[in-house]
Amino acid sequence: MEHLSYVKPLYAPFLCFTHHSFSLYSLSISISPHISTSIHNIFIFSYSYSPSTHPHFYMGPTPYNSSNSSSSACSSSTKPPPPQPPDQMDHLLAGAGYKVRSNDLTQVAERLEHLETVMVKSSPVDISDIGNDAVYYNPTDLASWVDSLLTELNPNVSGSGSGSGSGSGSGFVSGSGPAYVSDPVMNDMNNVYGEFGQQVVTPIEEDVSIRLVHVLMTCAEAVQRGDMSLAGLLIDDLQGLLGRVNSGCGIGKVGSFFVDALSRRVVNSPQNGVVQVDLSAYENEILYHHYYEACPYLKFAHFTANQAILEAFDGQDCVHVIDFNLMQGLQWPALIQALALRPGGPPLLRLTGIGPPSLDGRDSLREIGLKLAELARSVNVRFAFRGVAASRLDDVKPWMLQVSPKEAVAVNSIMQLHKLLGPGGPRGPPVDLVLDWIRDLNPRILMVVEQESNHNQPEFLDRFTESLYYYSTMFDSLDACTAQPEKTLAELYIQREICNVVCCEGSARVERHEPLVRWRERLTGAGFAPLHLGSNAFKQARMLLTLFSAEGYSVEENEGCLTLGWHSRPLIAASAWQAIPKPSVVTTGR
Amino acid sequence: MAGSNEINVNEAKKVVPLHTWILISNFKLAYNMLRRPDGTFNRELAEFLDRKVVANTVPVDGVYSFDVIIDRATGLLNRIYRCALPETEPGHHPAAGILDLENPLSTTEIVPVVIFFHGGSFTHSSANSAIYDTFCRRLTGLIKGVVVSVNYRRSPEHRYPCAYEDGWETLQWVHSRTWLLSGKDPKVHVYLAGDSSGGNIAHHVAFRAAEAGVEVLGNILLHPLFGGEERTESETKLDGKYFVRVQDRDWYWRAFLPEGEDRDHPACNIFGPRGVDLKGVKFPKSLVVVAGFDLVQDWQLKYVEGLENAGQEVKLLFLKKATIGFYFLPNNEHFYTLMDEIKSFVSS
Repeated sequence: MEHLSYVKPLYAPFLCFTHHSFSLYSLSISISPHISTSIHNIFIFSYSYSPSTHPHFYMGPTPYNSSNSSSSACSSSTKPPPPQPPDQMDHLLAGAGYKVRSNDLTQVAERLEHLETVMVKSSPVDISDIGNDAVYYNPTDLASWVDSLLTELNPNVSGSGSGSGSGSGSGFVSGSGPAYVSDPVMNDMNNVYGEFGQQVVTPIEEDVSIRLVHVLMTCAEAVQRGDMSLAGLLIDDLQGLLGRVNSGCGIGKVGSFFVDALSRRVVNSPQNGVVQVDLSAYENEILYHHYYEACPYLKFAHFTANQAILEAFDGQDCVHVIDFNLMQGLQWPALIQALALRPGGPPLLRLTGIGPPSLDGRDSLREIGLKLAELARSVNVRFAFRGVAASRLDDVKPWMLQVSPKEAVAVNSIMQLHKLLGPGGPRGPPVDLVLDWIRDLNPRILMVVEQESNHNQPEFLDRFTESLYYYSTMFDSLDACTAQPEKTLAELYIQREICNVVCCEGSARVERHEPLVRWRERLTGAGFAPLHLGSNAFKQARMLLTLFSAEGYSVEENEGCLTLGWHSRPLIAASAWQAIPKPSVVTTGR
Repeated sequence: MAGSNEINVNEAKKVVPLHTWILISNFKLAYNMLRRPDGTFNRELAEFLDRKVVANTVPVDGVYSFDVIIDRATGLLNRIYRCALPETEPGHHPAAGILDLENPLSTTEIVPVVIFFHGGSFTHSSANSAIYDTFCRRLTGLIKGVVVSVNYRRSPEHRYPCAYEDGWETLQWVHSRTWLLSGKDPKVHVYLAGDSSGGNIAHHVAFRAAEAGVEVLGNILLHPLFGGEERTESETKLDGKYFVRVQDRDWYWRAFLPEGEDRDHPACNIFGPRGVDLKGVKFPKSLVVVAGFDLVQDWQLKYVEGLENAGQEVKLLFLKKATIGFYFLPNNEHFYTLMDEIKSFVSS
């Protein structure tokens, strides 16, 4: 595909532009009071992942169903579990969330004993101090966790050499997704405990909600079977049902987007026509910006990425950030300012921003570059910007990025890699090609933030149901935002994703989200090793979220990665990686 | 602390399998870091360390789960576990995950619904903690029913009576779900269960239910957390020997009870000087499980005695050589004994 790329670096000292829109954290946070109004829609937060290719849920390729399954737990036999191959992950502790190799168990026990002895000798103040001050990584890797505690309490004692703390083990394959049914609260009970929410839902509306979801599923099933005439009839049904629910929130709101998406798909089958109107870059930016404001997902992504990049750049004098989707550059003012404040002074910072070519005459990449340059100038950070215009990430050629061997490189991919999971060209799957050249750049850090869901399953119905769960949860979290027009435009931003997942196929379907377990497999397979995000990043992310008075967002630690979700359902996952240098080639960059 | 630390470590190792020793010791030592001497709690690190599991509507070992928010104001969330229909072919679950939230569990059979309160001394863990998710899955498969795991508010951020309020709210919510009904004259067949602080919560919710005329068919208390100002013999003798120290217990009570209160508060000391008389109260039958190496056992035995004196039906399951947390891993005979007892308790 043709692309326009221009590579004119901009040098900060020679520019004089002023703007006022960036704050320290690149946020203009709308504090929206949390009003619990829509309790009549109780959303069900869950994943649907089937261990279809890995038969046993808890770990490892071989099923150990003797003592870990509920069925055998009911027996009154006192048979001990069968011996496991020693280099496997112990499945008993796996059920408790820990990964320990069977043949490391004794050693871990010894280290725990040692840790206890050391703790007894320390004062309670010291012990809670190490809780407050030290940074920890990947608690799933029990052996390295125990060692890190030992190191904190007794810096002279070396670790047992049980590894760098990079948890290993096979991932899961997300399988088929089941249907989602909302469970409207029984309004009768509203009379019993009256302080329960302000909205009263009539029994008719509750039934309609459940019916709405059932018909949605049936329609999706019909679409999968290719029975478009039935699907069309069901869509008429759905329009009717939508008219009877409260479409301002809850299942009514998200349901209407899915009905809309289904009807587009039925009317314009993906093979034939355009199902999704392309917005101009400007319109895209507007939606993006409001999505950024209305909910914390992008802020969390930027914030977590910046922290990890900052750490990766520690001690480096020449650093180069490659942003796979510059958009409005909202991520970068905070990093620029953090680098400015760095002890020892800021490095020379180069930023290469990739973005779609401007078709409307505006050169938005350059505009953003100029603004960032001005900011950098104002805080005395030597800064250079390059814009790379490309419609697709796999159109970017590494030479366009002009990476120098002397610089420390950070590759920043916020919700971009999944777009490469579509059908491959003659040279292979796009994602593999791109990961390959990223690896060739030898980045100190590859930051990956992705939607935490599987919207890339081969069967349409599975994608549909999984995305219905996912976006219902996301919309539920958005309900807490009351600022307008942020909320409405944020919803439109999300609607475009939904449409792409539901309506498009082939290369047009770019929203091919896959969960963290899949990305881990992919990235380790492509020659990357995890860089764990630690308890400090976790703590700071939680603090960031308290700026949102909407309670309900939750940050979780997941084997060295961080997820942000709504209540108990993670919605986006952030992970950091470093390239393992290719074995036989001396990497000098290209 | 009774005995030097070395002796204590060796004592504990003698009575529990290796996996259990690793698991409980890990919690013990991590928790030491989280409790600050000034009574505050390092919640950030606690959440970072807690291994959590997402709900899964695709059945695993015959059980699937999903989360429901039942009170947005408090953020009260429950995780529901249900048994899946049997597989029609290997790997294919009929109606997998199409959550039926309309029809009763059964119109002919009685299907028990156990409301479970996880432990953690009112402070640690969540309904989506891996250890409790695993336990609840096992429990669901065992009773062939439904388990509702309550993600109650924890101390010190939310002291007494928040956890009890959340439990009470859940009980009412459970009773009002049409999709939890079972039996010929349909009703929700509810049991309350909990380990450690969860057992304490179960008691208090059951009491409130009894007073309000809300039916609870039975209480299952796994080494429930009770206490009092007095130092009992078991507390003195077992202090520090099997993973638990009295000073830790004291910290958790200070974090849970209203500020300024002592351990004779009726939340803590059920049949103590400020306790409520249970005579004549329509209290559910109780199964109280006491671990012989738990330093709280004297308080648990006093609780059993108190129930008996009040004419309440109670069965004591005393597991002489069990430590706290024996039920997390199915690698010891106490686990299987417990499972058998629970199974017969909910089917009688």
